[in-house]
This record gives sequence, C-alpha cells and structure tokens, in this order.
Amino acid sequence: MRIKSAIDRRAILKGAGIGAAAIAFPTVLVPRKTRAAVQLTVRDPGGPYEKAFTEGLYKPFNEKYKGQCEVVGVAGKHEPTSQIKAMVDTKTYTWDAALISQAAHDLLVADKYLDVLELKGTAYDEIKPEYKTPTFAGNDIYAAVIGYRTDKVKKPPKSWADLWNVKDFPGRRSLRKYPFDTIEEALMADGVPKDKVYPCDFDRAFKSLDKIKKDVALWWDQGAQSSQMIKTNEVDIIAGYNARLQAAIDEGAPVALEWNQNIAGVEGWVILKGTPRADWCRKFIALAMEAKSQAGWAPYLAYGPSNTNAFKFISPERAKVSGSFPEHASKALLIDNTFWGKEKDKAIDMFNAWMLKG
Amino acid sequence: MTTVNQMRAIHGDKVYKARPNWHAGLPLIPVFVFLALLFFFPVIQLLTLSVQTKGELSGVHYMRLFESDVYIRSLLITLKVSFYTTLICVIAAYPLAYMLATASGQTRNSLILWVLMPFWTSFLVRTFAWLVLLGRNGPINKWLQGLGLLENPLEFFNMVGTMIGMVHALMPLAVMTMLSVMETIDANLPKAAATLGARGGQAFWRIYFPLSLPGLAAGGLLVFITALGFFITPTILGGGRIMMIAQLIIEQVEQLLNWGFAGAIALLLLLTALVIFYLYDRLLGMSTLSGSGSADRSAAGGGGGMIGRGGAYVGGIFINVIGWICDRFGELVEVVRPIRPDRPRKTMSRTIMWITGITMLVFLSAPSFFVIPVSFTEGGFLEWPPEGFGTRWYDLVFDSPTWRAAGIRSFSVGVISALLAMAISVPAAFVLTRHKLKGRTIYMSLLLSPLIIPRILIAVALFYSYAYVDKFLRIGLIGSSLGLVLGHAMLAVPYVVVTVMAVLKNYDYRLDQAAWSLGANKARTLWHITFPLIRAGLLAAFLFAFVTSFDELTIALFVSGGLATTLPKQMWDDALLKVSPGLAAASTLILIFVTSMIFLAEFLRRKASKS
Repeated sequence: MRIKSAIDRRAILKGAGIGAAAIAFPTVLVPRKTRAAVQLTVRDPGGPYEKAFTEGLYKPFNEKYKGQCEVVGVAGKHEPTSQIKAMVDTKTYTWDAALISQAAHDLLVADKYLDVLELKGTAYDEIKPEYKTPTFAGNDIYAAVIGYRTDKVKKPPKSWADLWNVKDFPGRRSLRKYPFDTIEEALMADGVPKDKVYPCDFDRAFKSLDKIKKDVALWWDQGAQSSQMIKTNEVDIIAGYNARLQAAIDEGAPVALEWNQNIAGVEGWVILKGTPRADWCRKFIALAMEAKSQAGWAPYLAYGPSNTNAFKFISPERAKVSGSFPEHASKALLIDNTFWGKEKDKAIDMFNAWMLKG
Repeated sequence: MTTVNQMRAIHGDKVYKARPNWHAGLPLIPVFVFLALLFFFPVIQLLTLSVQTKGELSGVHYMRLFESDVYIRSLLITLKVSFYTTLICVIAAYPLAYMLATASGQTRNSLILWVLMPFWTSFLVRTFAWLVLLGRNGPINKWLQGLGLLENPLEFFNMVGTMIGMVHALMPLAVMTMLSVMETIDANLPKAAATLGARGGQAFWRIYFPLSLPGLAAGGLLVFITALGFFITPTILGGGRIMMIAQLIIEQVEQLLNWGFAGAIALLLLLTALVIFYLYDRLLGMSTLSGSGSADRSAAGGGGGMIGRGGAYVGGIFINVIGWICDRFGELVEVVRPIRPDRPRKTMSRTIMWITGITMLVFLSAPSFFVIPVSFTEGGFLEWPPEGFGTRWYDLVFDSPTWRAAGIRSFSVGVISALLAMAISVPAAFVLTRHKLKGRTIYMSLLLSPLIIPRILIAVALFYSYAYVDKFLRIGLIGSSLGLVLGHAMLAVPYVVVTVMAVLKNYDYRLDQAAWSLGANKARTLWHITFPLIRAGLLAAFLFAFVTSFDELTIALFVSGGLATTLPKQMWDDALLKVSPGLAAASTLILIFVTSMIFLAEFLRRKASKS
C-alpha cells in the first residue's frame, strides 16, 4: 500500500506538472503567429476601445487587405509617451502607430518622434482642421463635462460657475486632481468667457480654486474612480470625462451630464518615426478617418467621431452622448495644446504646490 | 537584555564565524552581476540624464527640486505615510504572527490562508473594494448608522483611508516575515526561563521578544521601503490630498517626458531612504538582521559606536520595564481571580492575543469577502449590496482567451521569476549573515535599492537595455516573457534577501557543524539540515517574490509593449472606464485557484509524511 500511494503522489505531481507545462509552453515561449505578410501593431487604450476598434477598424482593415497585411491592436498605458520615445530611440517598433491624446502628440512631435502622415486625398480631408495636424489625425473627441446625480441635486448646475456656487447648488463635489481642465474650469467659473480662457491667467485660476477648495470632498485621479464615485453616489456633482460618466448612466445610475462649457480634447492616430511599416500605417489611418469606420465603433464608445459625417450612420440617441455631436461641439472649449505645451511644466508644479498648501 | 547576551555568548556567533577570507564573498557574485546588468547599469544610465540639460552637464534639475517646496513637502508626506504604515503594520502584525507561531499545525495552516488573502486580490481591485467599503454609502458607514452609533457618515478618504489601504496591502509582508523568524525560536527557551523563576511577562519580553526581533526588523524594513513607492492607494483612498513622491515622478516621466528631472526626484528619494537605512542600522541595528547586533556589540564592549550602544542600553531598559509592568499586571489579575487547581489556567495575555489576532485576520480578509459576493452581481459596477445574482462576469472571464492566456502567463512568469530570484539571492543572504564582510551595510543598501527606485524609471531603463541586447544578440527580450521574468526576478531580490537573512539570524550553526562532524558534506548538510530548518523563511521569500511578479504592472507594460498580457495588465485595461465586477470575478477565481493549490500541496505533503 505504501509504495502504491507514493507512486500515486508522484504520478499526480508529474501529471500536474506536465499538464501545466503543456498549457503554458506554447503561450509563454512561442511568439504570436502571423498569418499575413505584414503585421501592423497599433496601440489603443484598451478596455472598451478594444471591442469598439475591433468592430469598427481592425476587422474592416483586415478584410480589405486580406493576405497582405494584418492589423493587431494592443492596449497600452494611459499616456504612453515614454514608451513611444523609448521605441523610437532604440528603433524597436513594438508598435507602428498609436492612438494618443493631442497633448501627448505635441510632446512627442516637438522631439521629432513622429512621422508625417501625408494623407491628403483620403478621408483625412473630411476632418475639421482643429482636429488634425500634419502628424496627427484626430480620431475621437472627449470632453470634460459636469455630471450630477438627478436624485440628489434638485437644481441642476448649468455652468462651471454653478459648480463653484456651493450655496445655491448644494452637494458633495469632486474635481480632477490635475491642472488640465481644472484650470480652465476655474477660470470659466470666475466669469472668464470661453474665448478668453487661453492664455490662462494662473493667478486668477488659483484664486478661483481657493474659493472651492474646502468644498471639494474628493479629488479624483484615475478615470475609473470618477465613474465609481458618481455611480455609488460618493459625490453628487463631479467634473469628469463624458465617456466615464456615461458608463455610470449606461448602468442605470440616475446621473445627467451638462454639456454647457464642456472642455473638448482630441485623441488621434500618429505614426512612430522610422517604422518600416509606415506605408501600411498610412493605409490604416486613412481607413480610420472614414465616416463608415467611425460609425462602426461609435456604438461601443461614448467619445465622438472626429469625422462628423459619421453621424449620418449613427442612431440619434447615441449621437447625443458623443463629444463631437454638433450641439455639444458648439458649446465646447477646445483645449489649446500649444498653450499647454509651453506652460505644462509650470502649471503642474503650481498645481501640486497649491494642492499641498494647507 | 543580559539574558539574551549571555545566551548569545553561549551560542557564540563569533565562534562559528570564520574570519573573512577572500572566497567568503563569492556567493555574492551572481546576485550582484545580475543586478548590475538588469538594474545598476540601466538605471545609472538613465539617472545621468538628471545631471544634464540639452546634453550638457548641469545642475538645473537639482536646483529645481528646491525652487518650490513641492518636492520636499511631498517627500515628507511620503515619509510620514510610510512611517505610520510601518508602525501600525509592525504593531498589528506581531500579535497575529505570534498567535500563528504558537497555534497548532492544523489551525496555523488554515489561518495563514487568511493572512495571504490580500495577496491574491489585485491591488486595483483591492483599492476599489476599499473605496466602496469605506464610502459614504458603503457598508461600514451603513452598519454604523444602522446601529445608531453615527448620525452622519464618517469621512474616510483622508489619512485614515490611506492608512487602512496601505496597512492592509503591506501587513501580510510583516506577518509572514515575523512568522518565519518565530518558527525558528525554540519553544523550550521561554519554558526554561519560567523554570528559572521568570513570570510570563519576563519570559516573553526578555527571552522570546529579543529572539523574534530579526523578524520585526526585517518586516518593518520591507514594509517601509515598499510603502515609499506606493501611490495609487494613497491617491484613491486619500481623497486626492495625499501626494506621494512616486506620483510626482510618474508625472514627470509620462506627462512631461522630463526624464532628467524625474531622475533627480528619484535620486532624492533614494538618498533619503539610504540615510534612513543607515540610521536604522546604527540605532536599532540591522542587529537584528545581519551578523552582530547592537546587543552583541555592547556586550562585547567594543564596536558599534555610541549610538549603537546607547540604543541597545535604552532598548534593554525598555524591555525590562515592559516585562515588569506585564508581570505586575498579571499579579493584579491573579488577586482578582486566583489560580486554583480546579479550574483551567487561562492567561489574560493569551486571550488578548487571540482577540487582536482574529481582528487582524478579519481586517485582512474583509476586501476578499466583499469581492466574492460582488463578483456575482448582475450590475456593471462594484457596489454594495450587489444587484441581483448571476454569473455574467464569470462567463465574460471564462469566454475570453485573453483572460486565460493572461492568467497562465502571470502564473508561469511568477513562478519562474521567483525561483530565479531565490537561486541568486539565497546564497547572498547566507554570506551576509554568516560572514563579517567589510562594507556589509553598503552591500545591503545596494541589494535594497531596486525597491526604492520607482518602477516607472526601472521600466524605462530596462527597455533601453533590452533593446540594446536584442540588437546585438537577437534574443528578443522585448515583447517576450523572458524579459519579464528577468525584470521581475530583479524586483524580488530585496524581498528574498531580507526575509532569508531574518530567519538565518537565529539559526544555530552548531547544527551544521554537527552534521559535518558526522560526515555529511556541505551540500547534504544544506539540503537535509539547514533548508528544512529555515523552511518557513524560504517559503515566505518565495511567496513574496511570486506576488511581486504576480501584481506587477509597469514593467509588464513597458517590456511587453502590450503583446504579452499579464493579469494586472489585463485588469488595468479593463478598468479604463470603470472597475467592472469582471475584475472581481477574475480575483475570485485566482483566490480559489491559489487556495486550492495550497490545500493540494498540504494534502500531498501530509500524505507523503504519513506513508
């Protein structure tokens, strides 16, 4: 009996070991198989984008260029500027193209890490000029808006000034712990008209922030945190990104968004300088600019298509939650990345100092 | 303190410690070569950017550190948060570890599973679990209000929430380090003290406690250094007001692409940490960790310097006083409730210890017991109470090939990197405890530094080195699991070294010598005598190394470029818009998987030992 049980134990261990190794081996050691002649790797932000872009961009592209080129989307970190810099510096093109914010683009283009797009004559021409540059093809519009709990907030706030007005609009508030958006919000709350926000008067902005500092119950940092806090009613009024707050609304939370004075930003495609597959990147980005492609991902993502022709193919209800919906776009303040490019360093230091002050 | 010193004199560390000869330090070579290639060289290269502006030598970045008070203030906040975290962790972990160490085998093994629970819930899920639990509408506030204890909900999202989150994340580290040391303490020693007339308090404080100090010191050190690098927990649970320095570094790296200045801040953090480490070494003594401690030194009457001797003297008085107080208190209790042969002898201290211990276990497992029911929700958010009951989120995780692949990769990378870290770090730990090498403090500081330099900088530095190696050797470290294994093993080195050093501190080398004298060679002695005796420490070290890899995000992101997905990365991607119950489902599956693996191992071990 004793011998038998010992064998049993060994057999089990051995079996388990071989089993685990057999499962693990192919995925761990063997690189991904490529079916097409060229594999194009593009970075997207992951999560909901993965599903949206697979439907709207990757599948159509792979069908169109079947056998010649296959595009694969991989999820990267929130602001992957360092990763792109490192890849271009070392000529290790794990990614060929990437979807990044315009602020990230400005940071990278100044140091010559991006390739020119040369997309004239494609759907790129249909994109509004403020959404693109020679190295950046705007793909989607996101917006910082006011979100509030309809079950708690009796009188809905209609502007940043209302969010700042604690007396007439009671409720726990949350703002983003970062100078971008927050500085603009503070200025507009202090009565600066939309077209006078840039260049930002930092003194005035921080004076305005001083007024609300003690009434901000929580400062959010991670996007997922803002959705969570409005869903569980940790706060009643929040300044956050439309798609994140929409995630709470889609789950049935009694939350509404106020688009007046929304602060819009653009995310777009860039090509990493020096990638040997730059021409395929161009073909991919050209396809991504088409109204049909953008309409393809819009149902899955609340950020707005940069090609407004896409609205022809999008249901009216869905169109209303998009940042680039004409009615919202007309109320928007577009982030001035040239200004931030110059002032970012200073602004972050000042903001952190202000946060740490008493 | 005399008791311990006398014991040490009998033990006589010194007798067994050979004078350093040239080959004593040889086993240090692998770990230092490994760290040189994967850490020192890449990171120093990156840090040289901090003394440059536009390619020329300059101190601009360092001047900027002191231009505004942001960096110093943030550094002070970081130190404060880390210090309090360490203090609470150590104080709370000690009774729990003691309870585990003195519990019977069976009970202990099942209780340890509870201690380890936080390890198997990804830090993202754990932090969001606390965000809900401590929320204004969270269960804790609701219960307190329901009991009529509170009128208005308590506000947790400040220093209190930060402490809860951080202590929860780091306490298992302290418990496991202390426990592995306590398991090496001979249970007969306090009994011997009792037969010589010491009451419970004296026996514990003058015999047991000093012997358990290496675990306390090691646990505290690991917790403190790990805490220095935290930023997500404090930002989310601190309501945004607790600004840790790691976050400022990340801002510089990612948002501003200013690696030079990021390097300057990192160096400020590193230097501060090393100064603290030095003072700690002088004052409390790595005494406690490596070779000769302050207690020894004062007994020998030489070395150690004023600070060390002073520290030991004060420490000795302190311990005597506590022991005395405990005994007087015990006498007082006996007056109220005299000892009688007809009723079982119960001691107050044991009851207190069990109450504290169990409370700590409940605290450690609370988020896990929140995550399990929440994973069965039909809603799309982590919420309490969960909406309805369904397996929607499990279906999602099960049906996704990415989740499966990520799970398998995370486990294999974790195991392999932990084994690698053990293979190179354990010999180093032996040398550092057994031999009086010159400059041991420097070796220790170097070995600890991978924990202090922020991960984001290590990740950037590694990418450049890997790319360079790939160019010349065509290995393909970038985008492969091999690159990940090497990086994670490097991060695990400090944990393994410190934990193994702590258990070796109490190790009686005469046992090795006895084995040698009976004809065993060094390898056999190691395998049959030393390793079995320090098994708990080796297991704890392996566990820390595994978890370091298992929960690591930044290096995984950089090195893999998103191609080779690990579990933390998959979770992070999934949490872009919101933290979905899918993450809770994945965490529950991991918890079940790991726990059943431990049970299986335990079952097989017991079966084997019976037959």
